[in-house]
Amino acid sequence: MRLMVLFAVLISTYLMVMAKRAPALIRGFRFQSFCLFWATLIIARREDEWGLYAVAGLLFILKVVFIPQLLYRTIKKIKAPEVLGLLVNPQLSLIWALGFTYLSWIFSAQLIGRGNEAMVMLAIAFFVALAGLFLMISRMTALAQIVGLLVMENGIFLLASMVSGGMPFFVEIAIFFDVFVSVLIMGFFVYRINKLFTHIDVFRLSRLKG
Amino acid sequence: MQVFFILGISLSLAIFCLLIKKPGVLGILNCVGYLAVLFLSVVILRQAVLSQTPRQFSGFICLDTLSAFFIFVVAVVAFASALYSAGYIRREIKQGVISEKKAGIYYLLFNLFCGSMFFVPAVNNLGMLWVAIEMTTLVSAFLVGFYNKKESIEAAWKSIIICSVGIVFVLLGTILFSYAFSISGLSKSLNWSDMVPVAHILDKNILKIAFIFVLVGYGTKAGLAPMHTWLPDAHSQAVAPISALLSGVLLKTAIYAILRFGIIIIKGVGFAYFAHLMVLFGIISLVIAGGFILVQKDLKRLLAYSSIEHIGIIAIGFGLGTPLSCAGALFHVFNHAVTKSLMFFGAGNIVTIYKKHNINAIRGVVKVIPFTGLMMLLGVFALTGFPPFSIFISELMIMVAAFTKGSYLVAAILLLALAVIFGAFIHHFGKMLFGNLPKGMVKAGEPLSGKFVFLFLSLLICLSPWAFIFIKRDWVWIVRKLFLI
Repeated sequence: MRLMVLFAVLISTYLMVMAKRAPALIRGFRFQSFCLFWATLIIARREDEWGLYAVAGLLFILKVVFIPQLLYRTIKKIKAPEVLGLLVNPQLSLIWALGFTYLSWIFSAQLIGRGNEAMVMLAIAFFVALAGLFLMISRMTALAQIVGLLVMENGIFLLASMVSGGMPFFVEIAIFFDVFVSVLIMGFFVYRINKLFTHIDVFRLSRLKG
Repeated sequence: MQVFFILGISLSLAIFCLLIKKPGVLGILNCVGYLAVLFLSVVILRQAVLSQTPRQFSGFICLDTLSAFFIFVVAVVAFASALYSAGYIRREIKQGVISEKKAGIYYLLFNLFCGSMFFVPAVNNLGMLWVAIEMTTLVSAFLVGFYNKKESIEAAWKSIIICSVGIVFVLLGTILFSYAFSISGLSKSLNWSDMVPVAHILDKNILKIAFIFVLVGYGTKAGLAPMHTWLPDAHSQAVAPISALLSGVLLKTAIYAILRFGIIIIKGVGFAYFAHLMVLFGIISLVIAGGFILVQKDLKRLLAYSSIEHIGIIAIGFGLGTPLSCAGALFHVFNHAVTKSLMFFGAGNIVTIYKKHNINAIRGVVKVIPFTGLMMLLGVFALTGFPPFSIFISELMIMVAAFTKGSYLVAAILLLALAVIFGAFIHHFGKMLFGNLPKGMVKAGEPLSGKFVFLFLSLLICLSPWAFIFIKRDWVWIVRKLFLI
């Protein structure tokens, strides 16, 4: 069951890497967050710990409901074109993503040895983080950068919940709060950028040099 | 106990900013509050030096000499910045650059920023350390984009995105640290006070990988090249008192975080691994910063690149790892914080009078604002490591350590870069301070609180080397005390 969920995370990441438009990207993020919620719920039932249930609940509220809604609203309000401005086309992006999958597989095999379940999880977590970084670098709009950062954080969350059996409860809560605040603040800056520059294309923000 | 007062003062000042609408009153309250914080931090430092073991409060906060030292450095610069803000913001309001309401927001963000920086050295849990550093990024982004111009918003966006990516890497590293801790069969914990004593039985490979992530991530916050690209933008666009806080202490809190992990790594993996990485990043920063300083055209960016240079020197100092160089690097942390604050305050005064950042447009500062000009002259010599100022002493300590250890290549690069940077600074500032006045420029006044800050900082610059006379212990004792090794 857990491997199934992990597989779903993998698929959702491929979908996001191939997305051409902002709504598709946000849908992919929502799907991925839902998978993470599911995986955390499974662990919470196995360990029977109320803290993990709370974490899963918070994950659902923030990353499945609230943050995607916020991002949708941002696109609607700024009336910017929905395209993400791909520097690497979807097919090539998929090839990159497959390459990342292989890389993280080798990396985690090196780190903790082949053949156990922890290694698969480590590999997928690393892959999700790498894919997030790739999204941030290869898409032109500010919105895609926010989603890329969130995807990276999802990858790290996966690593935390599966490999080390979760962080201490209050740290987990603090990190959630932090992620939430950072998305709010970045959303605010996207408004500002759109207002001042009349676009959210971060590759055209090049006034400061040297 | 005092540390709770420090955090409490910052937070209650932040709450006052919501209640009181008069910026003048807020400025004075700020000064009084941070003066109290400064005294408290001295008390904390004294207690930490006298006590033998790290002192824990409620399991959440843990202070040893290293954290007490960093709290002290933050407190010094925060006090200076609060004092300078009072005069600076009043003048900005008078000139109509910002409204009174916006000044209230400025003081609110200022206090939140300082509070989160005091939080960084105080927490025990490495996860909470992460949260505190991310908080500093988020708050400082608003202060960078404060003037709401195209340039400042661009700088704020860059800083928030690049630092957030860095900080995500740190989270990855922190989780790997806790993983190494949990597979060794010990109880789950992220407290550094629990990790340090058992570091030698943790899995070496995982620790090594984890430290790379941590160093790259916190290195981004600290401004180590090549992850420094956000730094010159952010530091040059921020409000002047905030530039001082960013350059003076925000970078140092990231250095503190690296050292916290570094102590675990040194015990777990061995010293060479830590040393090589630190020296490598230090030298890259030094060389890149030197190049950019040479060709710089913007006053505040010049100072920002100089911060990268000094962070490089600090990294090299810790990387060399002899007691003398570590003590020198820590002393350099303090010296750079004080000197760079003075320079940014001076630059703030210059920019408000000349309305330009461009070095070529600024001429004859000594004639227009004599007091600031004189202090800047002192600051330039202090910053570039001219004797008898404090930075000269700390750089000398690192240099001597490099030679006695036999790292001649490091010492040679350090000397060369320092010589180039010295020349570049004298060239740039010689023109700015003494050249012919531009047309229509007349002698202008300076706020009294600003003058007082300059005196306070220059006293620290000139007198702090003498503190060593009163320390009757050798370097080994000091470094043992600081790093618990």
